[in-house]
Amino acid sequence: MRRFDYFRPKSLKEALELKKTIAGAKFISGGTDLIVQIKNRELKPSALISLRFIPELATIEINGGARIGALVTISDILQHPELGHNYPVLTEAAKSLGSVQIRNVATIGGNLCNCSPCADMALPLLVLEAKVRLQSAKASREVPISKFFKGPGESCLASNEILTDILLNPPHNKAKATFLKKGRVKVDLAIASLALLLEMEGGICRKARIAAGSVAPIPLRLSKVETLLEGAAVSEDLVSKAQHLARETVSPITDVRATEKYRRQIVGVYVKRGLEKILGQSLA
Amino acid sequence: MKNFRYIGKETSRPDAPDKAAGKAHYIHDLQRPGMLYGKIKFSDHPHARIKHIDTSKAERLSGVRAVITANNSPEVRFGFLRDNFALKKDKVRQYRDELAAVAAIDPDIAEEAIELIKVEYEPLPGLFSPHEAMKKGSPLIHETDSQGRPRTDNLVPLQYHHESGNLSAGKRAAKYMAQGEFSTPRVQQCCMGTAGCLAEFDMNSNLTIWAKTQIPFLAQRDFNRALSDMGLNDKNTRVIVPALGGGFGTGLDTHAYEYIAILLAFQTGRPVKIVYTRDEEFAYFSPRQSSTTKITQGCGQDGKLTFREVEVVQDNGAYTSWGATYPSVMMMPATSLYRVPSVYFNAQLVYTNNTYCQAMRGYGNPEHTWALESNMDELAGEAGIDPYDFRMINCNKPKETTPMGLKVSTCGLKECLQTVAKKLDWKKKSKKGKCRGKGMASLIHVGGGGRIYRSDASGLILKLDDFGNVNAYHGGVEMGQGLHSVLTLGIAEALGVRPEKVFINPLDTSTCPWDVGTHASRGAFMACNTAILAANKLRDRIFELSEELFPQEVEKNLEKFIKKNPGYKPPDFDFIKAAKRERFDLKDGSIFIKDAPREPWLSLDLGRLLRAIHFRTQGQMLATEVFYDPPNELPDFAKGFGNISSTYAYGTQGAEVEVDTETGEVKILRMVAAHDVGKVLNPPALKGQIYGALAQGIGYALYEELQSEKGKILNPNFRDYKIPTAQEMDFPVDLEFIETNDSFGPFGAKGVAEPGLVPTAPAIANAIYDAIGIRIRDLPITQEKILAALKKLKEAND
Ligand SMILES: Cc1cc2nc3c(=O)[nH]c(=O)nc-3n(C[C@H](O)[C@H](O)[C@H](O)COP(=O)(O)OP(=O)(O)OC[C@H]3O[C@@H](n4cnc5c(N)ncnc54)[C@H](O)[C@@H]3O)c2cc1C
Repeated sequence: MRRFDYFRPKSLKEALELKKTIAGAKFISGGTDLIVQIKNRELKPSALISLRFIPELATIEINGGARIGALVTISDILQHPELGHNYPVLTEAAKSLGSVQIRNVATIGGNLCNCSPCADMALPLLVLEAKVRLQSAKASREVPISKFFKGPGESCLASNEILTDILLNPPHNKAKATFLKKGRVKVDLAIASLALLLEMEGGICRKARIAAGSVAPIPLRLSKVETLLEGAAVSEDLVSKAQHLARETVSPITDVRATEKYRRQIVGVYVKRGLEKILGQSLA
Repeated sequence: MKNFRYIGKETSRPDAPDKAAGKAHYIHDLQRPGMLYGKIKFSDHPHARIKHIDTSKAERLSGVRAVITANNSPEVRFGFLRDNFALKKDKVRQYRDELAAVAAIDPDIAEEAIELIKVEYEPLPGLFSPHEAMKKGSPLIHETDSQGRPRTDNLVPLQYHHESGNLSAGKRAAKYMAQGEFSTPRVQQCCMGTAGCLAEFDMNSNLTIWAKTQIPFLAQRDFNRALSDMGLNDKNTRVIVPALGGGFGTGLDTHAYEYIAILLAFQTGRPVKIVYTRDEEFAYFSPRQSSTTKITQGCGQDGKLTFREVEVVQDNGAYTSWGATYPSVMMMPATSLYRVPSVYFNAQLVYTNNTYCQAMRGYGNPEHTWALESNMDELAGEAGIDPYDFRMINCNKPKETTPMGLKVSTCGLKECLQTVAKKLDWKKKSKKGKCRGKGMASLIHVGGGGRIYRSDASGLILKLDDFGNVNAYHGGVEMGQGLHSVLTLGIAEALGVRPEKVFINPLDTSTCPWDVGTHASRGAFMACNTAILAANKLRDRIFELSEELFPQEVEKNLEKFIKKNPGYKPPDFDFIKAAKRERFDLKDGSIFIKDAPREPWLSLDLGRLLRAIHFRTQGQMLATEVFYDPPNELPDFAKGFGNISSTYAYGTQGAEVEVDTETGEVKILRMVAAHDVGKVLNPPALKGQIYGALAQGIGYALYEELQSEKGKILNPNFRDYKIPTAQEMDFPVDLEFIETNDSFGPFGAKGVAEPGLVPTAPAIANAIYDAIGIRIRDLPITQEKILAALKKLKEAND
C-alpha cells in the first residue's frame, strides 16, 4: 500500500484547517470504504485526516426529532434505545449493513459521503426526509438528503466541507416504514434494496416515501410511485401498477453482482413486499 | 469390536491452543535475517507474443535488489506435463503468466517496482471455451510439447477412457432413459492463508524453502530439478512446512511463484519471501477445473440401471497441473457409484487461454457426482420411482468388485441412504404451498489411499526419550484439517501411552520420512496405519528388553514399598518367571504383566524403564522407523481399470429447502449427512471436517463462481466472490457416522476428508427440483438462474 501522512485533529476547526493546507488529503472516519479504495489504488491520498477524535461528531441527541453525529457507528445506532424505538426503519437498515466487525467501525457519515448507490443507510434517511449538516471553515449549511447525492462517488459536499450531523424530523405517529435488502449472501452489498414509508388514514394512503438502492447512479427516491400511491386506496390492482412503475422508473446496470433485469425484478417485488409488511396483509 | 482407550473419544487438538492464540507460525509470519520481498509482474493479455520487457526503471528504484525476466535468468520448466515456465519468454497464454519479478527490501518498494515494468505485446486471438479450442484449425495455445515436438491441436495429451459390459445391450434393455448435460464452474479454494513461500540458499548452494505445500517430498524432487536447470547440479532442497492456513488441493503442485522466489534468492544471495495478497490469490492462482459432463443412464422396468454413458470435457486452462488427473477420480463414481452393468466413460481435457486450474477437495468427484446424482433423480422421475427407492434398488454392496475393478471391502451406502431417508422424514411430503422440497445424493470416494503415483506410501519415525515421551516424525501435512490430532491419538492408542506424551515434529524433508502427499483423503488413513506398524515394532522391542529389566526395577519398587508399609505381605506371584515378552502389556504409559495381581509396585512407568535401558553399560535408546504402502494398484487410466484404493468411503446427504419464487432465493431448512467413515477416530475433528465440507459444498451449489471474461477474472475478491458464512449455515445439520470397521483401515477407519462436499450440490439441486420442478444444470444455482427458469416455465405453461 502507498504511504501517506496521518493526522488526528481534536476539533472540527483543526480538521478543516488541515484539509485546506494539505493538497490531496482525504478525511477518514471508519475507513471501511476508504482503505479498500486506497488498497485497490483507486485513490492515492497524500494524507488522511481522521475525524474520529472530534468528540462532538460521535454523539446522538434526541430532541423531539434526532441529531445523529456523522461519526456515529452503525453499531452505535443499533445500541441506542430511543433511536431504534422512534425510527425502527433505521435499525432495520443498520442491521443489514456488513458484518458485526464492519458495523463496529463503519460510520453513518462515511456511508453517506462515500456516495455509493448501494449505501444502506441512505434509504431510511431518504424516506424519513432527513437533512444533513455540512460545515466548512466559514459556514454551516443544511441540505435535504434527497439533494445530497449527485452520482456514484459524488455528492454536493465541497472538498473543504465536513458532514457533521444528520437531522431527523420528529417521528410521525401514523407513519410506518420498512427496509428490504437483497444480496447474494447475507453479508453483502445490496443487489437491490428498498425503504418504504407509509402514512395511512382510513384505508387511504396519505403519504408514501419510497427509496431504492443499487438500481440507479444514486440512492433514488421513486417519486412517481409515491405519487401513484398517495391519495389512493391500496388494492391489489394498485400494488401491481406500483410494482410495474417501480421497475420502469429505475435504471440499474449489469455487473458481476447481478443483471439489470434481476435488479428491476427485485425492486418490483420489494415494493409489494414493503406494502404487505406495513399493511400486514397479503397483496399478491 | 475392540475397546479403544483414546480412539473415538473426544480429544482436543494439540495444535489448537497455539492457533487460537495466534502463536502458530505461518509463512506470513516468517522472517529471516536480510530477507527480501519478492513480487511478480503478471501478463496484461490472455494470449500474446512478448515483444519487449523494459525493466530499466524498476532496476533504478532505490531498495530494489534484483529484477529478473526470462532473458536474464536460467530457464526453469515445471508442471505435470512440464508445459509451464517460471518466467515466460516468447508468449503469454493467460492473464496470470509471469513475465518478470523483483526482490526489494520491503513489500511496498517491490510493488512500486512492478508498476514500473513495461511490457510490449503482440496480441494473439484467444480461446476461452474448450469447445471452441477443440475445433479443427483453432489457433494453437502450445505450438510444441515439452520435448519440442510440434503440436497440431489444443487437446491435452492425457487419456481417460473406460468401457465395460455391453453398452448397446444395456441401452436395449433400458425401459427408461434420462440424459442431461451438466456443468461446473471454476471455484477458488479460498484458503484462509494465501499462497506463499520463503526461499534461502546457504553458501554451498543448497536450498531451504518454507513452502505452503501438501507434497513436500515431490516438491523436493521438483525443486531439485529446478536447481539442476539453474546449473546447480547435485544440490539439494530442504522443504520445511510451517503451519498452513488451509490447503484444499492448492498444495498438490509446485508453482511458478516458488521457482521465482528460488531464482530471486539465488540471484541476490538473500532469503526471498513471496506471499500472495488475497487479490493475487484470486486472480493469479489456480482454481478448481470447470467441466461439462454429458450423461445418459437407463434402467429397466424394475428400476435396475442397465447402462451409463458419460462424456466429460474439462477446461484445463493454459497449462497443466495435477488437476488434469481429475478424470481418474471421476471414473470412480462413473463406474462404481450404484451397480451398473455397462459403462462408457471418456474425458477430454482442452487447453484454453483461461487461468490454468489445479486440484481442489474432491478432485473431480464433486464435478462428476453433480452430474450423476442429478441425472439419477431425472431417471427416477422418468421411471416413476421415488428417488430414494431408486437408489436403494441400485445400491452398492460390501465385497463387490465394480466395473472399474474397485475391490470393495466394506460398504455402508445402504445404511447411509436409510439414515438420511429416516432423518429427513423422506416419505412425508414437505409442507404444501410453501415451495419446499427434499433431495438426496450419495457418493463413493477413495478411503484407503489413492494411487495416482508410482508409490502411495508414507513413513513414520518414532523416537522415545528418557521421560517416556514419544517424538514423531511423519511426512503428512497438517494444514488445518487435524492430521496431527489423529496421528497423536493413533500413536497413543497403538503404543499404549497418553496422548500428552506424543509430540508431532514440524514437517521437514531432512528429518521426516517420505510421504507421497496429503491428498486423496489419505492423511489419517496412512498416518494411523504407520502408527500401528511403528507402535508394534516398539512394543516388541520394549517387551523384549523388559524380560531382563522389568524384574530388576520391580524388585527395587518392592523394597521401597515394604519400607513404607511395614508388615506388607506381597502376594504369591513370581514376577521373575512371569517376565516373558508375550505376557507384558503397555497401557497409558505404564508397563505391567497382564496376568499379575494389581499391586502398586508391580508396574513401571515407561520413562523409568527407558532410563533403565539407557543408563547401563552398552545402554540403548529406542527409536523405530516404518514405511507403509497400502495394498492398492496404480490403475491403467486409458483402460479405466484398477483398484486405486484399498478401501472406499461412502455417504449420503439430504437437504430440505424452501424456494422464494419471487426472488429465486433458496433457503436451506435442514441438512442430514450420513457418512461411512469406517470408524470415528476423533469425533469433534470429524464433525469439523463434515461441517466445513458442507459449507464448501453449499458454496459450490449456490454461490461460488470465479467469473471471467476473455480470460480475465472479474471478481478477484471476497466482495464479489461469495462464500457462505455462518449466516448461510443457519440451519440444523444432522450428522450420522456409519462405522463399518474396515479391515484395511487403521482401527477400522477410512479417509473422510473430501467426501463431505461431494454430494452436497446435487442433494440441494434435487431438493430444489422437488420444491419447484426446476432443474438447473449449471452450477452455481444462483437466485437469478432460478428466477429466469421459473419465468421460462411460466411462459411455457401460459
Ligand atoms: C466487508 C465490508 C462490508 C460492507 N458492507 C456494507 C453494506 O452491507 N452496506 C453498505 O452500505 N456498506 C457496506 N460497506 C461499506 C462501508 O462499510 C460503509 O459504507 C461505511 O458506512 C463507510 O463508513 P466509514 O466510516 O468506514 O467511511 P470511510 O471509509 O472512513 O469514508 C468513506 C468516504 O467518506 C468520506 N468521509 C467520511 N466521513 C466523512 C465526513 N464526516 N465528512 C466528509 N467526508 C467524510 C471519506 O473521505 C471517504 O471518501 C462494507 C464494507 C466492507 C469492507
